[in-house]
Amino acid sequence: MARPVPAKLVRLMNTDTQYLHEVAASDYEHGWVADLVSDTIPKGLDEDVIRLIASKKRDPDWMLENRLRAFRYWKSLEAADQRPDWAHLTIPDIDFQSISYYSAPGNKPKYESLDEVDPEVLATFERLGIPLQEQKLLAGVAVDAVIDSVSVATSFKDELAEHGIIFCSFSEAVEKHPALVRKYMGSVVPYTDNFYAALNTAVFSDGSFCYIPPGVRCPMELSTYFRINEAGTGQFERTLIVADKGSYVSYLEGCTAPMRDDNQLHAAVVEIIAHEDAEVKYSTIQNWYPGDQAGTGGVFNFVTKRGICQGDRAKISWTQLETGSSITWKYPSVILKGDDTKGEFYSVAFTKAKQQADTGTKMLHLGRNTASTIISKGISAGRSNNSYRGLVRINKNADNARNFSQCDSMLLGDRCGAHTFPYLETSNPTAQVEHEATTSKVGEDQIFYCKQRGISEQDAIKLIVSGFCQEILAQLPMEFAVEARKLLAIELEGSVG
Amino acid sequence: MARGTRQDDVEARFIEAHHRLFGPGLNGEPGFLHNLRQKAIGRFGSMGFPSKKDEAWKYTSLRGILRTPLAVAPDCTAPPPSVRAIHGLDAHIGVFVNGRLHAGLSVLASLPAGVTIAGLGDAPPALVAAHLARQADFRGHAFVALNTAFLSDGAFVHVPDGTVLDKPVHLIHVISGRAPTLAQPRTLVIAGTGAQVNLIDTISADLAAPSLVNSVTEVFVAAGARVARFEVQDPAAHVSLVTALSAYQLQDSHFQNNSFTFGGQVVRNNIAMLPDAAGCETLLHGLFIARGRAHVDNHTLVDHAKPDCYSAENYRGILDDRATGVFNGKVLVRQDAQRINAYQSNKSIVLSNTARMFAKPELEIYADDVKCSHGATTGQLDAEALFYLRARGLTMPQARTLMLQAFARDIVDKVPIEPLRSVLDERIAAILAR
Repeated sequence: MARPVPAKLVRLMNTDTQYLHEVAASDYEHGWVADLVSDTIPKGLDEDVIRLIASKKRDPDWMLENRLRAFRYWKSLEAADQRPDWAHLTIPDIDFQSISYYSAPGNKPKYESLDEVDPEVLATFERLGIPLQEQKLLAGVAVDAVIDSVSVATSFKDELAEHGIIFCSFSEAVEKHPALVRKYMGSVVPYTDNFYAALNTAVFSDGSFCYIPPGVRCPMELSTYFRINEAGTGQFERTLIVADKGSYVSYLEGCTAPMRDDNQLHAAVVEIIAHEDAEVKYSTIQNWYPGDQAGTGGVFNFVTKRGICQGDRAKISWTQLETGSSITWKYPSVILKGDDTKGEFYSVAFTKAKQQADTGTKMLHLGRNTASTIISKGISAGRSNNSYRGLVRINKNADNARNFSQCDSMLLGDRCGAHTFPYLETSNPTAQVEHEATTSKVGEDQIFYCKQRGISEQDAIKLIVSGFCQEILAQLPMEFAVEARKLLAIELEGSVG
Repeated sequence: MARGTRQDDVEARFIEAHHRLFGPGLNGEPGFLHNLRQKAIGRFGSMGFPSKKDEAWKYTSLRGILRTPLAVAPDCTAPPPSVRAIHGLDAHIGVFVNGRLHAGLSVLASLPAGVTIAGLGDAPPALVAAHLARQADFRGHAFVALNTAFLSDGAFVHVPDGTVLDKPVHLIHVISGRAPTLAQPRTLVIAGTGAQVNLIDTISADLAAPSLVNSVTEVFVAAGARVARFEVQDPAAHVSLVTALSAYQLQDSHFQNNSFTFGGQVVRNNIAMLPDAAGCETLLHGLFIARGRAHVDNHTLVDHAKPDCYSAENYRGILDDRATGVFNGKVLVRQDAQRINAYQSNKSIVLSNTARMFAKPELEIYADDVKCSHGATTGQLDAEALFYLRARGLTMPQARTLMLQAFARDIVDKVPIEPLRSVLDERIAAILAR
């Protein structure tokens, strides 16, 4: 799918290798529009729209109240011009009234089996390389596929049900497990948390809900594939994961989006609650449409992800591979509330063309003997800007807290930027906080070394970049790691400059 | 920026004072100075003082002292100042009392020909006009604007082309006042091509009431010049200090700044380096020991605008009692500033559970062929090392003091001037023994 490189780009890159700009010019592999019949409401946002969404979702009253509270708060922020502008990003003026806030695929839900699912939907997944059927049979991954905003297929439910695990769409959870949803929703990310969290709480259409009962080790990786599909609609999912005492779950989230010209807004909220001795591992591959070479189109990804280690000895681990979106604003965080809790953040962020990413984490140490690890790798190419922004806060009573952070950046080209903005706040003398960061490029000596041994220049760059990210990719579950490696290789072929 | 009425009042007081002092005429002063002051007060008025909402002032607030009505004009009724020179130091000493050179207290007899240490008013107007307010950005920083708006005199050092000063230059700013005072020392240093100078900068403050010292230092380092600056900040616990140091470097020049902070209520150092040609070397070293309720904030920027430069930054802090330390260091590498080698390190020791340390080491890089790194650590004294010392008969306080002195020594050792190093060692030992 190689496109001719604009003369200007070639001129800018003439110091680089041929391979590098071939790669820089390649287009988004997963770009097309699936022809689904959609149920979309008109553009705009006011209380009537919120009520309409609530009625379409058949929300109970408390949920509608919750939406309206969040909407009023969001409106007050919007009126006071309080959109977050502190990140190292150039965010265009988003017109929130020109977005349609609800879109559900037609021929709506409640399938008994996959055969009943709209063949278009299945074909879409097929093209993405996520054959639902095959995964179901071979990979042992339960997939709760979300196209735009409504869950259309859920598999492996029976097996999960045997263990008492609840894994369903958010709407279903609201209907069937209202007590759990009411108890936990907004407990980690309240609607007052930030502008986009408020917006999400007001208009979210669906998402995933997961509850692991005490002492249960989830027998398979839980996975949700999100996909924006309807032109001009934002996607506002909400994920809530509750791991009860002593349980374990590994949760996968991956996404690709079709090519289109309008900027699309994506403002998700993910909340994780890990009780005593529980462990949650959350892995993400984010590959939304990044915009074209000129930087037009592309998804705006404003995500609030946060987990709380509520009980003692709980552990939450975030792993992410960020390659898509024209703007990424995302800080998966952990509140280490219980004693002896652990938080981890492993991230690879890859930006090319005119992509902008400002991503990182927050580790808030409240309990005693808490430990956090942050490993972040940023790779910038083309004319992109890639920033790590992370906060480590050791509270006064967090005795013996430990943190280790490492943020490495690699630049592939002389027109991109790589930035590091760590915040280390220590209020306890027994804390040990360490941070280190480096910025460098792929060494000519390294490439030379590989070439000497008969490895082509492009394979050498792939090898070096993949080595640079190895630490992170190794954290991904096996099935995901394969896809991640594939994606990174494609991205490299399609992006280094 | 929307500001509350109360905050506006604070700024209005300074703007009114400015009109009273400098409003209508030139008073026989150079026109450019008058224009500069007018521009600066205009910028100050439109910017206002920074608040905690400004990212650069996230951790530091001067609201307390700024709410106090401060006298902006020097108090000339104060008794003659006492000046402490550094024991055993053979230096050219320029003493500036409330901004004006005091010939009687200064020691300038052995200055080599061509070298000038003077008040800004007596300095060659052409040099002053060419360099004053060129390095320190009054358009972007409210405190620099405030200093510039009230600028009438200050310290001026000029080392002409090819001159190497064997003896260091010691600038002593003497500030005195009985009422709450805003003192605004100003220093301009010009090192000509190939010139070399070691510069010691200290403040002797005799301020009876809570006061604010807002100093601005500009350094111009011409091609091949070497300037090393040593600043010791040790004001009383009721005095706050805001400093701005801006250095501009040309081809193959060397500039290093060493700052030592031992006292003060709120201390904020803004250091901005601009190595604007290839081959520059920039070193920033700092040590701060904060106790009681002291708040020490070091804010540094190394703006690598041109390729082939080296910078290294090393800051250390010791925090005890209810003290707060802040380190915000930024390395900026601009587009096409290739082959930059930049290093930054910040280490802090927190001794009490009411002390806090905020570290924000930043890298902002727009060129690919660079080697940039930073490291930051915050922790306590190593228990095993303490045990080792105690096993050899040292008491706990002795062992702690010894380790803290060793920690501080890494920065003190970078000072090549022996008498100054001794003074620093003694001062550090005295503070740590307390």
